[in-house]
Amino acid sequence: MKHFLAMALFAALAAVVFGAISKDTPRERLIYGVKVFAEFMAIGLVLSWILRFIP
Amino acid sequence: MVKSERMEVERVEPTPGSAWLIGLAAWFVPGIGHLLLHKWGRAALMGGAVWVCFFVGLALGGHLFYVSMEGATSFLQWSVVIQVPPMVADLGAGILYIGCWLFDVGFREDPAQAARATYEYGTTFLLIAGLLNYLTMLDAFDIAVGRKS
Repeated sequence: MKHFLAMALFAALAAVVFGAISKDTPRERLIYGVKVFAEFMAIGLVLSWILRFIP
Repeated sequence: MVKSERMEVERVEPTPGSAWLIGLAAWFVPGIGHLLLHKWGRAALMGGAVWVCFFVGLALGGHLFYVSMEGATSFLQWSVVIQVPPMVADLGAGILYIGCWLFDVGFREDPAQAARATYEYGTTFLLIAGLLNYLTMLDAFDIAVGRKS
C-alpha cells in the first residue's frame, strides 16, 4: 500500500506542475492535470503488472 | 534572407534583465519567481509541489547526488561523468539542495539508509523535485518575458 501511495503522490505532484505550466485557461489546465495524473497511474499499474511476471 | 525576414529578425526585442533575475530567483527558491510576478496561485501550486516533493524525498530516505572524484583520476572518467546528470537534476531544487549540502543531509553514503524499502522512492522524489523546479523556473521566466500570461 505504501508503494501505491508513493506512486499516487508522485503522480499528483508531477500532474500539478504539468497542469499549471500548460494550456491557457484554468479549466483546460485542470483537465490536463487530471489527465496526466490518470496516465501516470495507469502506466504505473500496467508496468507493475508486467514486472510481476518477470522473475 | 529576404527583406521581410530580415526586418522581422531586427524587430526581436532583447530579454529584459529583470526576467533573468526572476528566473534565477525562481531556481534558487522554488515558487518565489511566481510570487515576484504576483502569480499567487501558480506560486502556491508549483512551488508547493516542489517543496513537498523534496521533503517527502528526504523523509523517505532519499539520496542526493554530487560529483565525487573518489577513486578517479580525471573528470572525464565514466565513474565521474555518470554522476553529473543526477546531480544536475538534484541541483534544480536550488536552496533546498544547497541547504542539504551545507548541513550534510541526504548526501552521506549510509548502507542502513540505502537498505530502507523507500530509499529508491526517496531518491526519485528528490530528482523529480529538482526537475519540476526547472519547469517552474522556465514558466516564471516566460511570464516575465511576456511569452505567457
